[in-house]
Order: sequence, then C-alpha cells, then structure tokens
Amino acid sequence: MISVENLHKSFDRIKAVAGISFEIPKGEVFGILGPNGAGKTTTINMIVGILHPDEGTVRINGTADPTKPAIRRQIGNAPQSLALYEDLTAYENLCFFGRLYGLNKRQLKERVDYCLDFAQLTERRRDKVATFSGGMKRRLNMAVALIHDPPVLLFDEPTVGIDPQSRNMIFDCIEDLKKDGRTVVYTTHYMEEAQRLCDRVAIIDKGQILALGTVDELTEKYGGQAVLIADLDAIPENMDELPGYMEGDRLRVETTRPFEDLATLNRAGLKIRQLRVDKPDLEVVFLNLTGRRLRD
Amino acid sequence: MLKILFMALKDLRLLLRDKANLFWVIGFPLVIALFFGLIFSGSGGTGRISIAVVNEDQSEYAAEFVEELKVMEVLKVRETVRDSAMSLVEKGSLSAAVFIKPGFGERHGLFSDEALLEIGIDPTQRLTSGYLQGLLTRANFTLLYKKYGDMDKWRQEFGRMMEDTSMWLGAPANVQALGKEMLTKVKDFTEAAYKAEGSDTLETTADSTDSVKSSPAFDLFAVKITPITRNRIEPRTSFEVTFPSSIVWALIGITGVFATSLIKERKAGTLLRLRLAPVSRAQILAGKGLGTFIGSVFMAGLLMVIGHFAFGVRIVNLPVLIIAVCAMSLCFVGLMMFISNLGRSEEAVSGAAWGIMLMFAMIGGGMIPLMFMPGWLQKIGHFSPVKWGVLAIEGGIWRGFTLTEVLFPTAILLFIGLVFFFLGVFLMARIDRS
Repeated sequence: MISVENLHKSFDRIKAVAGISFEIPKGEVFGILGPNGAGKTTTINMIVGILHPDEGTVRINGTADPTKPAIRRQIGNAPQSLALYEDLTAYENLCFFGRLYGLNKRQLKERVDYCLDFAQLTERRRDKVATFSGGMKRRLNMAVALIHDPPVLLFDEPTVGIDPQSRNMIFDCIEDLKKDGRTVVYTTHYMEEAQRLCDRVAIIDKGQILALGTVDELTEKYGGQAVLIADLDAIPENMDELPGYMEGDRLRVETTRPFEDLATLNRAGLKIRQLRVDKPDLEVVFLNLTGRRLRD
Repeated sequence: MLKILFMALKDLRLLLRDKANLFWVIGFPLVIALFFGLIFSGSGGTGRISIAVVNEDQSEYAAEFVEELKVMEVLKVRETVRDSAMSLVEKGSLSAAVFIKPGFGERHGLFSDEALLEIGIDPTQRLTSGYLQGLLTRANFTLLYKKYGDMDKWRQEFGRMMEDTSMWLGAPANVQALGKEMLTKVKDFTEAAYKAEGSDTLETTADSTDSVKSSPAFDLFAVKITPITRNRIEPRTSFEVTFPSSIVWALIGITGVFATSLIKERKAGTLLRLRLAPVSRAQILAGKGLGTFIGSVFMAGLLMVIGHFAFGVRIVNLPVLIIAVCAMSLCFVGLMMFISNLGRSEEAVSGAAWGIMLMFAMIGGGMIPLMFMPGWLQKIGHFSPVKWGVLAIEGGIWRGFTLTEVLFPTAILLFIGLVFFFLGVFLMARIDRS
C-alpha cells in the first residue's frame, strides 16, 4: 500500500531525514515512534507529497507521485497542528473540506454524519470550533481526515496535549479504523500508544530508522531480559546460591525464565513481601538503542 | 471553479464572523466618509447660493425686485448681462442665473401667459432650482405687500388691472366678464378687510411675509427653467469626494484581512490541509483572490448604496463605476498576494500590509486630496494604485468619465495588480520550497 524507499530531506544544514525506508501493507497500523525532532513529521509530509524528498521515493498503491489528485483522494491526513477553522462550526469545517474533495450533496451528508459520529461531536455540530475543548478539536481534526473516506490515513501525533479521557476516545477511534481495514500511519513519542495501537513500529531518531518490527520483535531483540523484582523482609546472608543482585532490600533478577528463578527464590526460603516481573517495553528498547529516553 | 468558489465563500464567511475585521472593512471606511464629509460640507455654516441677476425689464418694480433679492441672506447676487450670466453658470462660478424679462414690472410677475422670470441652471441642480423658485416667489410677494400694503396704491393698481385690456386678450367675452367680476369682488373684499382693520394701511410683518410663502398665488407666478449645462466638472457635495476615499479604505481593510488570512492558514495548518486536498496551489491562490475580489466589490457596492441613498452621492455613469470598482478590486487582489508573502508571522504580514497601504493611501490622495499636496508629491502619487483607483471611481460618480476615459486608470490598476500578483506567487513558491 505504502512504500517508502531511502528518503532523504535536509533543511539548510540540518539533515531531517537520512535514508528512511519501509513498506506498509494494506490494513496495517504502522507506528513511527521517536522523540521530538526525530524526523517523524518530515517523513509524513514527504509521504503525502507536501515536501519533496531530496532523494528517495514514496509510492502509494504503486504510484510514485502522491500529489496526483487521484492519490490525494486516497489519503487522509490529520496534521499535528489543529488544521481547523476556529470561527466555523464542526459541521461547516467538515462540509468545506468535503466539498474540496468533490463529494456530492448526498455523499457529503452521509460522510459528515459519519465523521461527526466518529468524533462524537454530533450534538455539538452547530457550535464553533473555537468553543471546543482540546480533545474535541483533536477528534474533529482526525474526523476531517476521514471526510472523503480514504483507505490510507496518516495521524501525526494526534494525542498531543489532551486529557486521558479524550486520548482513550482517540485510541478507540483508531481501533475502529483498523477494524474497517484501513491503513493507518501513526506517529507518536508515547511508547504506550505505539504498543497499544500499532501492528508494527519503526523507531526513529535523528532522521534514521533504528529498529523496525512488531512490538514483541523489538522488545525481544532490543529490550533485553525481563526483570524479576522481589522486595524482601530480610536481606539474605549468602547471595552465592541466589540469582540476581541486591539494591537495598530489593532483589533484582534479569532473566529469560522468570518462573524458574522464582522457584529458586522459594527454595532458598526467602520471605518475599512484594513481587513483580517487568517485561521490557519500547521505552527500554529506545533507551538501549540510543542511550536516551524517549522524552529526554 | 467550484472549489475556488467554495474557498472564497469560506473566507468571506470567516470575515463576516470576525467583528474586529469587519470594523476595518466597513465601519472604519464609513467613519472616514462621514467624518470628512461632514467637516468639508461646512454643515452648521451659512451656505449661500450665488446667482447672477439679469434685469432685462429696467422697470422700477423690477429694480425693486432685484433689491429684494439682494437683501435675502441665503442669496449672493451679482447683477450682470445675459451672456456673462450664462457664461458664469456654465463655468460653475455661479449656481444659477435669474433673468427678469421685459414686462415683469408692469405685471408684477403675475397673470402672464409667458413666464416673466427665467432661471438658468444646470439640469442636475434640481434641488437648488426648486429652492430658488421658492425664493423668487417669496421676494415678489414680499415686494407686493410692501408696495401695496397702502390702500390707495391697492385701489390704483386694481383700477389699472381692470382697465388693462391686454390681460384678457384672446379670452372669450364671457371669461373676460367673469374675470372682471372676480377682480371687482376681490377689490370689494379687500376694501371691507381694510375697513374692519380700521386703517387704510396694512403692516408688512414677518408673519404676513411668511403667509405669502404658503400662498396659493404661487401658481400665478410662472418661472421658466432654462437648462445651462455646466462645463466645469466638480463634486456636488463633499461626500462625493469622501466616499471614493472610503471605498479605497474598505479595499485596504479587505486586503489586510485576506493577506493575514493566508499566513494564519499557514500557521494554523489549514493551508497544509488545503494543499493535501485535490486542489492545486493555483486554485488555493485563486480562492484567496476571488474572496478578496468578491469582498471588495461587495463592500464598495455597500458603501456606494449608503452614499447614494443617505448622502446624495451621484452615480453619473454606472458602467464606468462598476468597471472602476472591479479594476481596483483586481489590483488589490494582486497587492494582497504580494503582501501575504512578505513575512512568516501574522504580525509581520499585518505590519507590512498597513505600512504599504498607508504609504499608497498617503501619496495617492487617500488621506488628503492630491490637490492640496505639493507638485512633487503629486508626481510621486502616480505610482500609487490609490490615486488611479480614486480617479476611476470618481469617474463614475461625478467626473462623468466615458468608457474610453476610464480605460486609462483601469489599465494602470490592472497592470499594478498583475505585477504584485506575480511577485506574490514568486514569493509564495520560495517560502514553500524552504
């Protein structure tokens, strides 16, 4: 569906994207995870044809020029900034963009109703966008991207600056789109979102893809071992027989077989006050790959 | 084309919903038109109508009539001969000429088949013409009261009128008899009235003079109106000068609003969304241009309607006015395109818009009429679209331009607009590339 090959883009002396390549099959939710300034938005803008790559190609459904009107009709994009007319109502915003995509009266009515329902703004349809909360604006921003019923959707950091309730609503929306069989490209710097929503994730930093795969593949390959953490009532006198190492009264065991290690602790007669197993996540993957945290 | 229209209508809707912008687009220009219009109209002062009086009768009564006109505060009278009077009115030096025809004194201006007074005036000056007729009537009847307030003079005059067979010439015998009977009865009635007053003299008072103004005798006092077309073309009121300027200010406001709207869209991300839609960059620009054009034409039209119906601003040549407004609007579309790409922030563009527009308005006569400016500044004014815009609009309002005459200023406006439009497109492409 989307094929990106060796994309390069520089702004003056700053290399924003340096050789990014990936392919996204139809119906996949593809995450681009990286810190601010990693090159996520530049990549998205090159995919949709707003920016011309210095080098490399983008193909959508086999067509190399995303600026062609026929290709544009297949793409819906919700930019990171709230690309809405604040003095128009939700209904007017949707109608305006729908008309630009050439929807006829019947199609426009159907799609506007669908989008308002998608954004859960049907009851506020006649209100100016300026009166909406941040979450409502974000939802409408996404809904506008859906007005022409595109098979490919690109959401650039759609949860920036919104409350947890609205964030959950947006997650539900993305999952609904996935069920519809749409192809979604989702950029974020929140690893929880990528883990929850994306079939595959590309971790990028400084304009390059550091790792690409499913969440499990990435954590397995770059996340290191799971960590068994046991808070003990008393510090054992002899650690030679035990796995792991002590941090105060806490025993940390890095392991690929946590159940077997737990059995070993039991056999040693340790009194465990609290126990948990931390699986590696994308945050750890990023940390291991770059030496920095995602939000640094 | 429909997409361009949708984008233009969206921008106009946004304009109408922004009260601050709406003020700059219609409120402020209207304030300019009214404020300066009232200042220059000299309202509250003692406006006088300058007239020439040509006494072709040379009778004592006619001379007294001229004196009566001279003492009227609202008139500024200059006695002269016919040719000179005609010439002065043609040049616009005087508002009208009053010709006192031979026989006026003998008939006291009354009861004549042929009008014994003639007003020469420009046909467009209908209000002044009507007002002047009223003043002449008032002067004549005031004089009549002054002269014949004395009963002996009355009796004398009645006797003369009864004997004056020329008055009845051509009338059937029964009408002549009826007329004489009527005059006799009027005479008897007047005698009775004097007796009832206990005096042989009636005082001419302000009240009695005022009563003359509403006297039904007006119909007996025929005045001929002779059209004298003015050669000197000039605005009839100060509003005819200030309303074209106010249209310029409205267009400046709209240009500023639309210039900043492009940067606002770029900043808000809606421009990105527009570019993601299946519309070309040219269509996006055309949408902005069409919005500016429709807004400009609409606001100019609205101001003209207000000016025409509320302040008597003439529209001498409607097609010329339409062409002028359209050309000026197109010129400002080009300016909008140029200015909108002069900065990366709303503040920068807004500042550039007002800076450039104020400069054009200053040197183009949008603030102070060019005629009050020094010669060198008037020459610089040739480079301002405001100068050519005001000239073209005035061409339709009071200058009476023909279609050929309006071609020159409109061609200049279109040329300036095109130059700025292409400069704007060039700048926009450069910004997008970066």
